[in-house]
Amino acid sequence: MKRRTFVGAVGGGAVAGLAGCVTRDGDDGPENGTEPGDPEPEEPDLSGELIVATYESMVDDENPAGTWLKEAFEEAHPDAELTWTVPESGLNHYIRREQEEADLDADVYLGVNVDDLARIDDALDDGGLFRELNLDRIGRADRIRNGLEMGDPHGRVLPYDTGYISLVYDETEVDEPTTFDDLTAPAYENALLTQNAQNSDPGQAFLLWTIDAFGEDGYLDYWRELADNGVRVLDDWYESYYGAYMEGQRSMIVSYSTDQVFASAEGYDMSRHQVAFLNDQGYANPEGMAIFDRATKIDLAYEFVNFVLSSDAQAEIAQRNVQFPAVASEHVELDPEFDRYAHEPPEAVTMEYDRLRGNLDGWVDDWAREFASQ
Amino acid sequence: MTRADRRADVAAAAVVAGGRAWFERRALALAGIATIGVLVVMLYLPVGVVFVDAVVVDGVPTLAAFREVLTDPFYVGALAAVFSDPLAIGGHATAVFGWLAAVSVSLSIEYPLSDVALPVPWLRVTTPGVRLGLFGFTAYQAALSTIASVALGLPAAYVLATYEFRGRRTLRSLTILPFVLPGIMVAVGFYAAFGQTGTINGLLGLVGLGPYPFIERNPLAIVIVAHAFYNAPLVARITVAAWESVDVRTVETARSLGASPRRAFLDVIAPQLFPAILTGALLTFVFTFMTFPIVLALGGLQLATVEVWIYDRIRRLAYAEAATLAILETLVSLGLTYAYLRYESARSGLARAAAPPPKEPLFPDLRTALTPRRLAVVGYGLVALVVFVGPMASLVIGSFTDGSGFTLRHYAFLLERQVEGQSFQTRPFPAVRNSLLFGLGTLAIAVPMGVILSVSTARAGRVGTIVDALAMLPLAVSGVVFGIGLLQGLVFGIPLPGGWRLQVTGPVAIVAAHAVAAYPFVTRNVSPLLGALDPAMVESARALGASRYRALVDVELPLVASGIVAGAAFAFAISIGEFSSTVILAGGADTYTMPVAVERYLGRRSGPAIAMGTLLLVVTAASFVVVDRVGGRVER
Repeated sequence: MKRRTFVGAVGGGAVAGLAGCVTRDGDDGPENGTEPGDPEPEEPDLSGELIVATYESMVDDENPAGTWLKEAFEEAHPDAELTWTVPESGLNHYIRREQEEADLDADVYLGVNVDDLARIDDALDDGGLFRELNLDRIGRADRIRNGLEMGDPHGRVLPYDTGYISLVYDETEVDEPTTFDDLTAPAYENALLTQNAQNSDPGQAFLLWTIDAFGEDGYLDYWRELADNGVRVLDDWYESYYGAYMEGQRSMIVSYSTDQVFASAEGYDMSRHQVAFLNDQGYANPEGMAIFDRATKIDLAYEFVNFVLSSDAQAEIAQRNVQFPAVASEHVELDPEFDRYAHEPPEAVTMEYDRLRGNLDGWVDDWAREFASQ
Repeated sequence: MTRADRRADVAAAAVVAGGRAWFERRALALAGIATIGVLVVMLYLPVGVVFVDAVVVDGVPTLAAFREVLTDPFYVGALAAVFSDPLAIGGHATAVFGWLAAVSVSLSIEYPLSDVALPVPWLRVTTPGVRLGLFGFTAYQAALSTIASVALGLPAAYVLATYEFRGRRTLRSLTILPFVLPGIMVAVGFYAAFGQTGTINGLLGLVGLGPYPFIERNPLAIVIVAHAFYNAPLVARITVAAWESVDVRTVETARSLGASPRRAFLDVIAPQLFPAILTGALLTFVFTFMTFPIVLALGGLQLATVEVWIYDRIRRLAYAEAATLAILETLVSLGLTYAYLRYESARSGLARAAAPPPKEPLFPDLRTALTPRRLAVVGYGLVALVVFVGPMASLVIGSFTDGSGFTLRHYAFLLERQVEGQSFQTRPFPAVRNSLLFGLGTLAIAVPMGVILSVSTARAGRVGTIVDALAMLPLAVSGVVFGIGLLQGLVFGIPLPGGWRLQVTGPVAIVAAHAVAAYPFVTRNVSPLLGALDPAMVESARALGASRYRALVDVELPLVASGIVAGAAFAFAISIGEFSSTVILAGGADTYTMPVAVERYLGRRSGPAIAMGTLLLVVTAASFVVVDRVGGRVER
């Protein structure tokens, strides 16, 4: 059942993806355009160096998932070597390289968001940068839970984990907020802290969540009410959380629903780390993986994507990255501690590719102009 | 020794001497060519690559992007009407007069501290309000930041230049410390110091006051204080260098002619300090005009500057708009620099030899310690303690604590990473080593570059002033844009005929980029002193047969040594603190520096990054004391 909905979504995308690919003329990749994805080879080549690009905390955090992934993958494939690479400007680095026709030097990207896909397609040709995945080669793709579809019409990406944006509040200062309207009420005056949607993932997620709740025509009005009630918009998650929130500037912050996992590990006072889901929702930010169009180690890359969806890898990524696994619960076993402190919203909201494409920049820009110095 | 041997010796000596003479004749020209080479590859090429984006869209030159920005009230506020219809002078004049007529001034009593009944007479100016736009607001906060930095920096310069006390030299070395801290650390430090549960409120709580929401109540004020945290040391440092090159004999002459100490200061010393103070103010304005992380982290989006928008445009891959904003921003900075340089070059010709004024002991005895002037110094010391030491000390404390109290585990993380870290992870020791090596490399390149530029523009009239202003380009170009230019121009490479690409990365490129960012500080510290030297001194040396190089090394440089040392310290500081171009040019994973390591450790836990930030503070503090001690020996 689950398999069918998911494969259906990606398969439907594959057709559209094909149509998109055909319009790319003079494409250098022989596998693009006429052939449907990557056919499974008789003898996959599982040797050599696989270069995986990702973000910093995947490899440089206190207990990063990256070290475990490298060791376990190399153990399972003795002829292969996994090399991490962390480009400074993230995915933009590869978009620019694609535009400049410079070498990519990477096979897989771990950490693609839905809005990244929209940005890729705005900057490059539709369906650009990454390959359309042949799901037949990724046996564990059917383990992925419902609700994490990223809606890419070109079928380029599979989620490997997800976080939920929610509110974190201090129960000694404010009551639990339950609706968006609560936040504009006098009880929450000068209480809310959020992040700049221009350069922060949770900040942008919260903005998109309000657009989902109030519509394209209503969200700015809602934000004006938030502004009148004293919302504060700081730079990014780190500064707003460790700077302002932890120093007692505010009693509520837009953050992750896994906040208590950290709070308990760090020995923080739990009363300041209560999680609230507005309208019984949380905004899901699934993180995806994709294989570059110009990858050189295709077989190994497919093997890696499949490996990331294995039960062991899913458990390690979830716990070390402090995000929720992408696979259904019967395929992954998590520490009781993680289960106890990581809260899942009753309903997950997320904006899919189709709604973001062509709209995202305008929404964020209008919002930022509303708030910026005038 | 045979006669033949001796002849060979003489011949060899002649060759060496000939070689030296050849070198000395051409030393300046060679150094000039090298300087131009570095500038073209590391500065003009990358900046040019980005700026072309603004005026060429799809291969067609256009000014559409400029028109769009200049007629958008969001960017330029009330000026948008002027730009969209520049010929409607009558209409604009009416608007201005209408605005002026609506301004009113009244005297009232205000209570600036809401919790304290402290009445202050207040001159209230009511204006109908004028829309500043992003550029206007950016300039407004930069002007306030400049005033604050000068107000906080000058007393420090006064104390350091006129009093002798234990640890004065060390303190002088450490004034530059704030300069190297990454923006994120400063923001976290300010929150830890001024936050609701921060150190200052903790102290206030001991005497039964507060907590006072400093940051919440007035974010603009805190942002300005943070800018002063960065830039007041710069003002102080440049001013002290000028103060120490004042010729005490001029003061003595004035005094012997009957001038009071105050008169002598105002007529003799102050005019010699003024260019240095203005240099500090100019640099502060330019820096705070291009500020980005600090405003967003402390003030939030409400205080966004032009640079915030440039960053956003680049993230959204809208290069034309980003480049347009960057060009306008650069024009403002370069225009200011040019205006300042015209002033600076108009003031040359004061003969001066460095015989610094003697310093008096700060607290010789209790009676002197209680004089108003000494008490003012103590008062200033307390303010400096709150503004400068507060945030840094809070950072250090943060590195030793977690939610439940004292801990060493953040440092244990650094140690563990050093011992067990894998090749793709960031280890602390290579970061320290790279930072110091790049810093030394930067010194070796930036100081000669800066001096060469000072020498070649010192007496070249208006053309020299224009060249000098253009040489300040690294300060005037936004860091975000410079980084993108390096990426597109040097890392991706410029296609050359025959299928080649010009690519420059790795340690050499990093050092060159640091040197390009740093040499303007050397130039701005040296030029005013060089311009003030009596040209007759160089001319007589030349008439006596010295090459231009000899005259420079033997006559001019010793006289401007204090400026060179001040510039060198800045060059080192710029290199240690530099972030964006280092990350972009670091080809292998092994060329990261301390600030890069700080950013890489920022995850969803705060400890490791703050511990690394503390390590950055300690290493830099130690190296500045060394740099200054070595520099002090050169100065004597």
